[in-house]
Amino acid sequence: MVANRIVKEKHEPVETPRVAWLMGLAAWAVPGAGHLLQRRWLRAALAGGSVWVMFLLGLWLGGHLYALTGNEQGFGVLLQLLPMIANVGSGLLYVVCWVANIGFAEQAQISTYEYGNTFLLVAGLLNYLVALDAFDIAAGRKK
Amino acid sequence: MKHLFWMSVFAVLTAVVFGVAAKGTERQKLMYGLKVFGEFLAVALILGWILYFIPFR
Repeated sequence: MVANRIVKEKHEPVETPRVAWLMGLAAWAVPGAGHLLQRRWLRAALAGGSVWVMFLLGLWLGGHLYALTGNEQGFGVLLQLLPMIANVGSGLLYVVCWVANIGFAEQAQISTYEYGNTFLLVAGLLNYLVALDAFDIAAGRKK
Repeated sequence: MKHLFWMSVFAVLTAVVFGVAAKGTERQKLMYGLKVFGEFLAVALILGWILYFIPFR
């Protein structure tokens, strides 16, 4: 009887509060904002700060951001789309660069170009992780 | 040295985010972050030496 109740409770759908989605969105848009809004100062400074530093270092090292140009043919679109998804993880940092046309030109002549690319890609991917962390905290799944 | 420097910067920043996003107590998070950082450096150095001895030309 008790075992049945425990199993039943485990399978009951848990509703995610709307604020959790907003926190996740804020965390994606501005790295660290999701934790800041939840007064997790240290996490915001460490995780958000790392993403900011990594993104800015990536630009400084000569890395370039990926975007779909419309000229890709066949499977070539995947070569742009997948890294673009990683870059978009940086949220508004990517959008601002896109609007201002910063960082979209390839600068392969710079010796640190590949480092820059890697930093920019990983900054976006890490921000997805940070956004998920902010979402989990707001949803009460994490302390 | 430039390679090692930028790889170390990368490892530090990534390890910090991994440590923050990890579950557990503050101490467990710190230890996880340090472990990730150490693993990044160790794997890079080991792979670097393996590739050094492989004749590509």
